[in-house]
Amino acid sequence: NRFKSFFCSSSRAGCYHQVLCSLSVFLLQLVENEEQFQQSLADALVEESSVIVNVRLAKSLPVPTENETSRPRIDLVVFIINLTSELSFESAEASLKYLDCGYFLGKVCFLVTNARSVSVPAERLDAVRKLAALFHCPLLFVEDQTADGVASAAERLLTILKVAAGHVPITTSLYMSILAQCTVPPDIDQPSFD
Amino acid sequence: MAATLNLSGLTDSDPGLNDQSASSRSSNRSLRIAERDRRKNEAEDPFALALKYFSDVEAGTPVIGNDQFENNLVLVETVAYSKGLPPEGISIMLEFAMSLRMGNSPCVRVLKCLIPATVVPQEAVVRAVVWLCVGKIPISSQVLFIKWVLTVFDLIDAKDQLRAIYGFIFNFVTEENLCPFICHLLYLLTRKESVQIFRVRKLLELQSKLGRQPFLLYLLSLYRVFCPELVTLSIPSRMRSGFRNHNSPWKSALIAVQKKNGSQVSPTISLPFMTNSRKRKHRHLEIPKLCSVVNKPAQTEPSFSRKVVPFMQLNSFTELLENLHRIELPAQMGSLLASSMALHYLDCVQDESALLRLNFWLGYTLHEEFLFNSDGGASQDLDEAQQFLNKLLFTQDFLQEGFSATEAFLYKFLRVWDGSLLRPQILSLLSNIPVVPSLKIGRLLFEPLMQLFFTSSVFFKCGLIECLNNMLSKWLSWHTVYALEDDLDISLNSHTSINMTLSEFKDSVMELVHFVGRLASVGLQLESYHSLLLSFILDFYETVCDTFVKYELPLIVMPPAGVFYPALFATEPVSVDRLAYIMYRYKVNLTSAKLDIKQKMKASHISRQTFYEFNHYKAIMVNCLWNSKMSEPDMGLQLKEELLCKSNIPEYWKSFDLINHPAFMSCAIDFHRKCWPRKRNVDLNSIKLSRPWTWYLQYLYSQGYNGLKQFVSSM
Repeated sequence: NRFKSFFCSSSRAGCYHQVLCSLSVFLLQLVENEEQFQQSLADALVEESSVIVNVRLAKSLPVPTENETSRPRIDLVVFIINLTSELSFESAEASLKYLDCGYFLGKVCFLVTNARSVSVPAERLDAVRKLAALFHCPLLFVEDQTADGVASAAERLLTILKVAAGHVPITTSLYMSILAQCTVPPDIDQPSFD
Repeated sequence: MAATLNLSGLTDSDPGLNDQSASSRSSNRSLRIAERDRRKNEAEDPFALALKYFSDVEAGTPVIGNDQFENNLVLVETVAYSKGLPPEGISIMLEFAMSLRMGNSPCVRVLKCLIPATVVPQEAVVRAVVWLCVGKIPISSQVLFIKWVLTVFDLIDAKDQLRAIYGFIFNFVTEENLCPFICHLLYLLTRKESVQIFRVRKLLELQSKLGRQPFLLYLLSLYRVFCPELVTLSIPSRMRSGFRNHNSPWKSALIAVQKKNGSQVSPTISLPFMTNSRKRKHRHLEIPKLCSVVNKPAQTEPSFSRKVVPFMQLNSFTELLENLHRIELPAQMGSLLASSMALHYLDCVQDESALLRLNFWLGYTLHEEFLFNSDGGASQDLDEAQQFLNKLLFTQDFLQEGFSATEAFLYKFLRVWDGSLLRPQILSLLSNIPVVPSLKIGRLLFEPLMQLFFTSSVFFKCGLIECLNNMLSKWLSWHTVYALEDDLDISLNSHTSINMTLSEFKDSVMELVHFVGRLASVGLQLESYHSLLLSFILDFYETVCDTFVKYELPLIVMPPAGVFYPALFATEPVSVDRLAYIMYRYKVNLTSAKLDIKQKMKASHISRQTFYEFNHYKAIMVNCLWNSKMSEPDMGLQLKEELLCKSNIPEYWKSFDLINHPAFMSCAIDFHRKCWPRKRNVDLNSIKLSRPWTWYLQYLYSQGYNGLKQFVSSM
């Protein structure tokens, strides 16, 4: 099974694409500095019965160099940022440098937790938005404290993952990332003078 | 010990006390005195002793190394955080803290533990304000005190004396650090009588010094509502959502105490700051009790020239009508949401100050509850939040307009929403928002919605399309109701004072329709033409196609190709039938628009392009379904002849006529069987002959495909 999944992802562009995709094996890399939420998210993703998701966890990038040759190509890299911690943001920002630029064609996504918390400075949220907007990536907000929130996050990640892995006809990951890319909102709070 | 502390239990256990408001306070007090006497006898009660220590301790007693002080304070803190302090305890401790009898450090510590179990006696707060005027207290403690007052504001048992010292409190606005909090407090205390020209001047002066600070603007906007002749300032329609005075340490402690006390807590108090929305709802249903405490002194106060009737004294609709002109609003505006009488009042009186204050309360509450969680949402009780939002929805439905506070809240909430939390409520609230100017609509609404739409499941996509459909039909209904006939100017939502010209309104509607068109085209593609999604999209276009006839809006927008073709080539007959109905309605609308132009000799509101697009779509539909011609030169969809031949489909051009269309083929076979029951091999082409063809059409219509019937008969 391992071999198959490797084969599938490495030759995704090839002519075996159609045949192998019926196997529905997805490769997902979660990167979270705090290593708290990624486990429950991974569990929720693996439980999904319709598809097989191979989830890999990492604290930060780059991942260790051993097994480098046998490592499959990842369909989607997800950076999980806990907004209440500055370290979490900095770590994600630092990890981004180690990612091959090919991934930025629609195979990167940001996941933000605790966005509605009182202890989040507005500047940090803006910084995360700017980061996601800079790389034209989707930015998902997650209610990581509730089971429903985790399940819905897993569902949304799968939606993106299917497109990123090329399982949705006529759509490419680049197209998806342009459709759903994060934008930096205007400051609604500022009184308007018009 | 619990029995001795539970002072409120005594006042609340007798319902007569609350109802006979005239006597309640004095008897309340006498009860308290009796309680105090009783407590004196219980010398062994350590908490009473601790309180006694703090009321008797002499000024200048050292803090450091004072074990007695330390022990007593720890005891008070324990009681405060576990059960909350009784009113008497609050008075003693506040007096101790604000008098600085033992210096500043215990003052801060005491202020932090002032968690009321039931109510806060007004006298204590007034005395504390007096200490504030003495001016010895360091500024940080002053801020802390005002923040505390704001947190427990709704627990203060009466407000009359506080209103009486409005001027004293107002003096503190000049203190830069205190200003935001003082403005908030003043906002809560302000009445028409308090608005004076010198105060307005002072505030304007401050504004020129500090800039357009939201707290000043808020207070000024309230002043303007009361006395528009005194405040001529222009105030932006969208403002920062309220005063940002988060008092989370007290708030969470209060919630904890209230939850623990449960039934012990006086049911007459409801906290707008509390997460406990269920409490909010039930308590609001008991507004009379609440107000009897809050507003009673106002009646006896001699300085009042006009007689006011508090809301709580109204028990029937007739009474409401009789007293409509002299109603005093409750101190806590949120309670209006739950009272049907209050809603009637708001609806017919259109009291601007009431709506302003309600909006303010709502903005604050929504912001605190949904955007500023103390722990990222873990403690939020979903049931309660749901009930609260449902209540809000009910109110908005009743008043038939959205609150501007809800709107401002939604714009922020959408930006951090995960797309599933409280989805039905949020989408319903969203469909209630008033018309958004076309310049802002993209940034405020479309950007966050796009990000949610494309990354969510097909069910979210359906929900969002439905929500946008509701939004559009509400906007259109507003247009029909509010449009003024002469100058084609519409004033939407009188309270937010958004005035729009017809062309601005048309721009907004057009933006919305085009936006849904984009979502629909791409969404259908992403979800491989999901029939449920298609059905919701066709729902939307059923609203869009009737804008002229049904809503008298001179604007007609055709669906994009990404919606038209998937519906035309859908595999379920319902979608094709609905598309036919939509095309029929477009025809009716365009014809009457044309007639309208001819009759009134006006320039055409509908662009030529729309007519062209309609004719184009109509030709394609007729060709495909009727004439069995697939590719016409101007069809837009161009496929090479050779390519189609290569597909080896015999007579491919017939593939989408009413007989061979994948959606209708089963009907055709069924018809064939009924028409020629003896024929062994099915030859669908035989239906094409003129007589069976008429019968076949009759058969289709009898199956309920009325859209097709209307489409065919109108061509």
